[in-house]
Amino acid sequence: MSTIIFEEVTKNYGRVQGISNVSLNIGPGVTGILGPNGAGKSTTMKVLLGLARPSIGSVYVNGVNPFDNFDLRNKIGFVPEYDCFYEHMSAVDYVSYFLMIHDFSKEEAVEKAENSLIELGLQDSMYRKIRTYSRGMRQKTKVARATAFNPQILVLDEPFQGADPTTRHLLMEKINSWSEEGRTILISSHILHDVEYLTDNIILINNGRVLASGNRHEIRKLMSNIPIQIKISPIDKNQLRPLVKRMLDEKWITAGRLLENEGEIILETNESEKFYTEFPQILEDEKIIVEKIVSDDDTLDSLYSKLVEGKQWK
Amino acid sequence: MEISKMFKRFPTLFPPIFKDCSYRLITNKLTWVLVAILMLPCALGLLVYYEFSGDRISEEVDGEKIYYTSSGELLHEDLRVLFLEISEYFGIGFIALLLGIMFSSELISEEYNLKTMQILRTSPIHPVEIFTYRYISGIITGVILLGLYSTLFYIIVMMGAGIHGILEEIGLLALVIKIVILNWIGFLSIFCAINVYFERPYLICFIYWLFWEQIMSGQNYQQITLTHYINSIIYDSLIEMGWSVTASDYGLVNSNNDTIATAPLISTFIILIVGISFIFIGSRGISSKQF
Repeated sequence: MSTIIFEEVTKNYGRVQGISNVSLNIGPGVTGILGPNGAGKSTTMKVLLGLARPSIGSVYVNGVNPFDNFDLRNKIGFVPEYDCFYEHMSAVDYVSYFLMIHDFSKEEAVEKAENSLIELGLQDSMYRKIRTYSRGMRQKTKVARATAFNPQILVLDEPFQGADPTTRHLLMEKINSWSEEGRTILISSHILHDVEYLTDNIILINNGRVLASGNRHEIRKLMSNIPIQIKISPIDKNQLRPLVKRMLDEKWITAGRLLENEGEIILETNESEKFYTEFPQILEDEKIIVEKIVSDDDTLDSLYSKLVEGKQWK
Repeated sequence: MEISKMFKRFPTLFPPIFKDCSYRLITNKLTWVLVAILMLPCALGLLVYYEFSGDRISEEVDGEKIYYTSSGELLHEDLRVLFLEISEYFGIGFIALLLGIMFSSELISEEYNLKTMQILRTSPIHPVEIFTYRYISGIITGVILLGLYSTLFYIIVMMGAGIHGILEEIGLLALVIKIVILNWIGFLSIFCAINVYFERPYLICFIYWLFWEQIMSGQNYQQITLTHYINSIIYDSLIEMGWSVTASDYGLVNSNNDTIATAPLISTFIILIVGISFIFIGSRGISSKQF
């Protein structure tokens, strides 16, 4: 069941279009929202959080309009991209203040804030003033504030920005564990690798429009008219030339390139499914043993490039 | 959210915000620039005291030293006029107004700049709570600051008249502090609401004060200004204290020269109503603001 539903949502800021005709269904688990700066990711999140009212269309979160429903705020945790601190407060004061807003008593709030900050590795600095914090510590504090009250829905806008590798790893582990608990997590990032690690459910957005949404492998299938590239490295380098010649006999191979120095060939096809079905048989018939087959085009980077930038394999 | 719940949450949610707001207000450089300007009359008062204290004539009555001017009038009656007139430009006048505008900007606009307002808008805290906590924090900080200033200035001005003079006119200090409180209750809520709705709050607040409060307050329809009610309270209190003042001294007359001062209790009530009304106007602005 979808927790978040966008029905043909358009949001304009004066003459500037934030998002246009966006329709989404987001259910429990992690969903990644990807797009370049200014694509409309933050506007999508603002509309979902009730910070902006759609100009056209409807948004439902847990079946209610987030702009008007006050109770919904008890169920959504938001980690913004930007800093949003009372700088002279300590992390414990800051997180516990927001917990008190969620009607926890002062004692409960402080205890929960401390636990949450300790879980995120801030035990040594949680009583220091936030203005002395590094970017990674600030990121952890934002995450602690957004998650300490166990929200059902988490909206994370660029949560790994400025985080060091340790923090990044820690946050990823936390996000995975929250996802396993059945929460709905919407995460935006321009670091594709991070999203790829966390989820297969993605939404690609650019110029305020959703280019594609769903499982990244399924999206890739839908892109059948866009060639994908596959690198093949036979163990016996003498088989490079016969292999590329053989493959070019197949109608579904649109181009082939021999890279003798690298010991590999690169094939281009519009029909990836056919390639993966038939290629093993060809190898067997030709008695060719391959060391590795790599399709970079199946990574989010590649999807992103093709859909957002229209970049094609050369 | 019910009003009763807001009251219940107040003791928990207000103190951290008060601490934050008062810290930001006190550490703001502009606050100290204005405090420095406020201290100018204090410095001048000290200078005058040490320069002319030898010229006073004194008389001891029942163990109390009473000071007189060279023309034989009670010195504290001269000094109290000086204290009130200077206060009307500083502690309860133009400088206090600038302080109020600056405070409102720090309390509301700065939260938009710091983006903490966006986070509050995604949290289960009612806009009335958001606005009220900042407004009350501003009142408390402003009143403490200007109350202390007025007391210090009063002591400096009145010490020329000795302990007797200071005690004799203490009612005037109480009046000035009362006006400080009412000024802040009325004006700060308007300034804070302006900060919610406008992107150039300093300018809009100043335009409001200049065109609405200053120009309108001398006219027939001055009852639509807060200044009218503040002046009415000052005027009435001074009459009660036995001062020789007229309604026209405070602009409380219409074009027919009829006194149109409002009773102090009604004036106080109206100022409170204005303060509360602008809490709701400002809160509505917070809830409807889009980011």
